Amino acid sequence: MLEIEDLQAGYGGSPVLKGVSLSVGEGEFISVVGPNGAGKTTLFKAVSGTVRPSAGRIRFGGTDLAEVPVAKRPHLGIAHVPEGRQLFPSLTVMENLEMGASTAAGQRDWARNLARVLDWFPILAERRNQLAGTLSGGQQQMVAVARGLTSAPKLLMLDEPSMGLAPAMAEFIFARLVEIHRESRLTILLVEQRVAEALEFADRGYVLEAGRIVLEGTHAVLSADDRVRQAYLGM
Amino acid sequence: MMLQLEGILQALNAGLLLGAHYGLMCVGLSLIFGIMRVINFAHGDFMMLGMYVAFHLFTLLGLQMVFGSAAGPFIAALLAGPVLFLFGYIAQRFLISRVTGTRIGSLEGEGHYAQLILTLGLSLILQSGGQILFGSVPVSIPSDISSTAWELELAGGDVVVFVNQARAVGALIAVAVVALLVLFIGRSRLGKSMRAAADNVQAALYMGLDVDRAHRITFGLGIGVTAIAGGLLASSYPFTPYVGLEYVIIMYAGVVLGGLGSTLGAFWGGLLIGVIQQGSALLLPTQLQNTAIFVVFLLVVFLRPQGLLGRSAERT
Ligand SMILES: Nc1ncnc2c1ncn2[C@@H]1O[C@H](COP(=O)(O)OP(=O)(O)OP(=O)(O)O)[C@@H](O)[C@H]1O
Ligand SMILES: [Mg+2]
Repeated sequence: MLEIEDLQAGYGGSPVLKGVSLSVGEGEFISVVGPNGAGKTTLFKAVSGTVRPSAGRIRFGGTDLAEVPVAKRPHLGIAHVPEGRQLFPSLTVMENLEMGASTAAGQRDWARNLARVLDWFPILAERRNQLAGTLSGGQQQMVAVARGLTSAPKLLMLDEPSMGLAPAMAEFIFARLVEIHRESRLTILLVEQRVAEALEFADRGYVLEAGRIVLEGTHAVLSADDRVRQAYLGM
Repeated sequence: MMLQLEGILQALNAGLLLGAHYGLMCVGLSLIFGIMRVINFAHGDFMMLGMYVAFHLFTLLGLQMVFGSAAGPFIAALLAGPVLFLFGYIAQRFLISRVTGTRIGSLEGEGHYAQLILTLGLSLILQSGGQILFGSVPVSIPSDISSTAWELELAGGDVVVFVNQARAVGALIAVAVVALLVLFIGRSRLGKSMRAAADNVQAALYMGLDVDRAHRITFGLGIGVTAIAGGLLASSYPFTPYVGLEYVIIMYAGVVLGGLGSTLGAFWGGLLIGVIQQGSALLLPTQLQNTAIFVVFLLVVFLRPQGLLGRSAERT
């Protein structure tokens, strides 16, 4: 579904991604882990188009994304739940979700998607008319995920959904992601610093360090790797 | 005693009617300054342009003939709205967009200097351009009802309040336009995406919203709405190409009073300024009316910086 080949990208001349290749198949749950500044967010931005690659190719469902402007990509079925949540703070929870449903598919299946999303995150139903900027961090993250889902995406990309959350809240979010993946068979690409959880729930994982993929494989393969055990799992 | 009461009621009535016009102006600016967070120095000058458009629609283009000189001025003011919407839309498309929206996405602070310089320049161009094009002799768009009044008899006829008809009609139109606009911004999908695009450009792009278009419509609406307010005022007040200067400060004060980002709040802010201005005439000489506005403005900024009706949703 998503094929990235030898991707290079950076900011104003300083390269961040130095040739990244990865692929996400339909229905897969893929995790990308790596230290601060490895380029995980940059990778996501290249996929959704706010960072322009200097070399390499990104194909989504057979379409070369280089030809597709940023604001058109969500309409292909890519939902980006960005790092730091990036809600519309002066819009209500409900209005945030409506903005998610700006795609044709999101509009068509709005009622059904909304019902499902509120099922997964019931607190949002209670807070539907509250301004998103006044919610707690965990609730804001729920809105961010829910807003991605109401676009009825084919691929859900989540950039550190646990960032800044208390452990219990982070676990809740992870549990929901697993549930969402299981119930809807949605393709998920997750970036995380909580490596243990991210690898545990994923079908496959990639380790990104200093702009390069240094390791990839299934949970079993990665967690058997000595470097991963030492650097990320603290074993 | 009755005389005093009469004076107060008269001032209140004048203040509310004029304030409704101010409120409409402020609502226009609030779309641009409050929602888009663009500092538009030229807002008053766009309004001036709207007033001249209304004036020429009325005189040259025959609205006077078609609708008569009672209703004609009001229809001219309403029509100036769409004309200036287009003007604002194009200004945003080719000029303002260079210092806002997707282009600056992340450079909030740096964007503001460029906005100041660009819109200040635009303001100067509009003023001197206006003078070349329209001359500096004051004109107005008097309606047949500009100097007629309804007499309201209160307290069994002891107190009589005069309600200027042109200003009352203008105020009603202003309230109706504000109501429509508040509904549009609050309820319609386009209105919501305008607010979303102003809140967070990058997130709006991730939702697949056409951010540039949303900004163009917001800017156009802001200018168009203020132009209608200017056109309505022109039935009572003569104006020149420099009229913008008189109102631009009132508009910013109203928007801040009402709480940045609240469309309806901006209307209340403008209304309040009208009442203060006319009310202060009871106590102060005319030259000090605007001083009264600023004293109240500074007090509010000092005591309640989020505005009288401000909500405090953090913006990033
Ligand atoms: N807007 C930007 N302009 C310039 N450099 C940037 C920008 N954003 C990120 N960088 C740099 O690019 C590198 C990679 O950043 P990126 O945000 O992709 O890392 P990350 O893996 O997501 O890290 P984190 O785990 O902290 O989120 C870092 O060195 C960072 O300083
Ligand atoms: Mg990151």
